[in-house]
Amino acid sequence: MPDPAEFDVLIAGAGIVGASVAWHLASAGLRVAVIDATGPAAAASGASDGAVSVASKKPGLMARLASESLLYTRELSTGGPLAGAFHARPSYVFGSGAVEMSALDALVSKLADLTGPVRVTADGPATLLPGLGGAVDRLVVLEGEGHMPGHKAVRAYLSRPGITTIWPAPIRAIASDSNGVTLDLGHRKLRGNTLVAALGTATLDLFPALPIQPRAGQLIVTDRGPVDALRGSLTAASYLVAKTGSGDQLPLPPVVIDPLTTGQYLIGSTREAHGRTDQVDFATLKSLLSRASQIWPALLNRRVIRTFAGVRAAVADGLPIVGAMPGQPRVLMATGFEGDGICLSAVIGREVALMVQGLAPQSHWAADLAALSPARFENTAQKGAA
Amino acid sequence: MSDHPILIVGAGLAGLAAAVELARQGLPVLVIDQAQAIGGAVHRQPLPGVRSTATGAQAHRWSRLIAEVQAQAIPIRCGTRFGGVDHTGAALLTGALSTLIRPRAIVLATGARESVQPRPGWTLPGVMTAGAIQSRIKTLAEPPQGRVLLAGSGPLLLAVGAELCRLRHPPIAIIEAARPLFNPASLTLPLPYLTEAATYLAHLLRARVPLFFGAHLTEIIQTNGPLVAQIDTRKGPRNFAVDVIGLHDGIRPNDAGLTNCDVIPTLRLGDCREALGARAALADGFAGGQKLAAELLGTTPPSPNHDLQRQRAAQARLARIYAHDGLARLAEIPAETVICRCENRTLADLRALGPAPTARALRLDGRFAMGACQGRFCAEWVGRLSDLKAPPKPIGAARWPSRPISVADLLTTSDPIEKETK
Ligand SMILES: Cc1cc2nc3c(=O)[nH]c(=O)nc-3n(C[C@H](O)[C@H](O)[C@H](O)COP(=O)(O)OP(=O)(O)OC[C@H]3O[C@@H](n4cnc5c(N)ncnc54)[C@H](O)[C@@H]3O)c2cc1C
Repeated sequence: MPDPAEFDVLIAGAGIVGASVAWHLASAGLRVAVIDATGPAAAASGASDGAVSVASKKPGLMARLASESLLYTRELSTGGPLAGAFHARPSYVFGSGAVEMSALDALVSKLADLTGPVRVTADGPATLLPGLGGAVDRLVVLEGEGHMPGHKAVRAYLSRPGITTIWPAPIRAIASDSNGVTLDLGHRKLRGNTLVAALGTATLDLFPALPIQPRAGQLIVTDRGPVDALRGSLTAASYLVAKTGSGDQLPLPPVVIDPLTTGQYLIGSTREAHGRTDQVDFATLKSLLSRASQIWPALLNRRVIRTFAGVRAAVADGLPIVGAMPGQPRVLMATGFEGDGICLSAVIGREVALMVQGLAPQSHWAADLAALSPARFENTAQKGAA
Repeated sequence: MSDHPILIVGAGLAGLAAAVELARQGLPVLVIDQAQAIGGAVHRQPLPGVRSTATGAQAHRWSRLIAEVQAQAIPIRCGTRFGGVDHTGAALLTGALSTLIRPRAIVLATGARESVQPRPGWTLPGVMTAGAIQSRIKTLAEPPQGRVLLAGSGPLLLAVGAELCRLRHPPIAIIEAARPLFNPASLTLPLPYLTEAATYLAHLLRARVPLFFGAHLTEIIQTNGPLVAQIDTRKGPRNFAVDVIGLHDGIRPNDAGLTNCDVIPTLRLGDCREALGARAALADGFAGGQKLAAELLGTTPPSPNHDLQRQRAAQARLARIYAHDGLARLAEIPAETVICRCENRTLADLRALGPAPTARALRLDGRFAMGACQGRFCAEWVGRLSDLKAPPKPIGAARWPSRPISVADLLTTSDPIEKETK
């Protein structure tokens, strides 16, 4: 007989998804422990931009999830745990050339169909935004989206009383039975009734059968300067093409210029088929900065103080993996959020907490959530588990 | 590929010695330096029209090296900054020479930097490093204006003090935390160290500069007029009203943000590898140049360099002679003392992160090492304050740029690499 469970729920991974799940479960009165190999926000959640954006999501399921999460994030930020982490601000999407123009058309009609929390407040020439440089044929201004640095959200969620945090503690192996789950932490074992695996790209180490692929992205940070006319993120339409399209050749660099509250700019990002965080190269840096400074010439007065790469956990079919592992009812997955985990973390935390407690989601959600279940890979996943 | 030069970053003793050695073996080199003239820290050259303050022995060593540099016709570009090398082997140069190049190998000889321990008031205007005063003397042959106080620990304090005396502008006092003259081991130092120290002391004594040993500058206060330095001496507290304070708490390799590259040989030489001073840097430069040449040409590597070992032993002895309890004072600084000056973060901010914060938490939540210096100056103290006994380590992985790069400069760099690959 394994030892009695020390915790109701063990959460593997202190990224934004694990932290949100932990907060929701602790709020429901459960005994929760969050285990991380390194510490809070050690992987993607601490190396990303923090756009909470519906505009960039694929129409359909992902756009619906993002709308719901945006509304819920706003709710959690008014007096809730995310106060001080999330802030609302406008977003600007620009384009030039035929491919980007049609991406902007698609954006406007997607938002109209959603009748969600994001609306177009202006759509026209570059002159809509003072400070914008040449090379912009059209600008779409949105209201309703916001920004949330991943590390701030993680810290905010995990500071809730009742959450036990354990790090640095790499999980070596997971053994589950019908009563619970035992984690092997090397120097000790940890027993819980349920495990939520929110391991990002490291999912592959412990669940090698899941079709997750690393997607590295390079980012640039400038020095501080006067907070200027840019009040929200400035996104190239080709970034929407990269995220929603079939991934073919982009007409122009998919640059996003994000003004941070510190007066710095964060400029990103690429999407590369590897998982190295130490690969940041001058050629890429130049191409991102070159388009970025054509669009926002104030950047020419800044200095690059840091560059880094983060790695997203992409899934072969483009959808996150959320739900119980087939054949392992005590193991729930919450991973594969690729470039959308900051945005989706609030709603995913809420829904996974319900799943852990055996509670049904609201009916209008049931089908969308079911589509995210790891059961969709059952054939491959079982092979790996055997 | 073999016609691509070996990039040598830093035109001080180590960089130039390596360049000479490589060029002698027929390997093309390119030396760059961010300063407007060659010489590095020790042989920093005076501006045009300014007479040199270098002493005879220094000047002699330098002119011998320069003769070889000229004999080999080594190309040197000053006013050029090294932005780093990326994983593809591309190196970024900005400034006078503005280009991306793909060198055959890289020698990092960026010298040392000074370490300055945080104390209340250490970020006030008028407070600088003792090394900054020295480089002003070397380039302008001029002392700073007003009353100067030198404080901290290390042989550099006596050297700068002596140079100020020679310019007839002796410091108000020198506050040294260690008691080197009272340590009998001092007499076991190599003769050149002793004669150098004797020369400095002679200047200082002749000018009647008060020397406080075993003393600490505990706080600097800004008044309407001068700065007031509060000193803890062995005989009790003292105050000095001064205009300029030169702080110095030792030297460290100037290697923050320097990354290696997997696809080309990357070598660190001189103080950049191990801060052992001028004599060692020269020996290390020649030896490192020989070693790299052997690696690139496939010839037999040189035998280990005894000069370097002797200097390492001497520096270790010097470090013991200069041992002091200044670090213990770090633990006692008030909570509102600034630790990271770029982002203006205090000891209280550090403590708020809780015990044993991760590198991510220090950076993202604490904003330590997140400013323009990226931890070059504060990482040591953040590490010490988290654990006084453990040797400090960088906060997070080293990354280029090693220094901030202007976006405009970056975009105007020529890009021969791009043309090559197209
Ligand atoms: C460049 C870039 C830009 C991005 N921009 C945005 C954006 O604007 N908006 C948005 O919504 N999303 C964005 N994202 C995506 C977002 O960052 C991720 O989707 C999100 O952070 C994923 O969170 P997570 O909790 O699933 O995983 P992670 O944050 O990766 O957390 C996984 C955790 O598991 C831990 N772990 C790993 N192995 C083990 C083990 N064996 N034992 C214990 N612990 C372990 C790790 O240390 C880590 O802390 C971006 C990502 C990148 C890389």
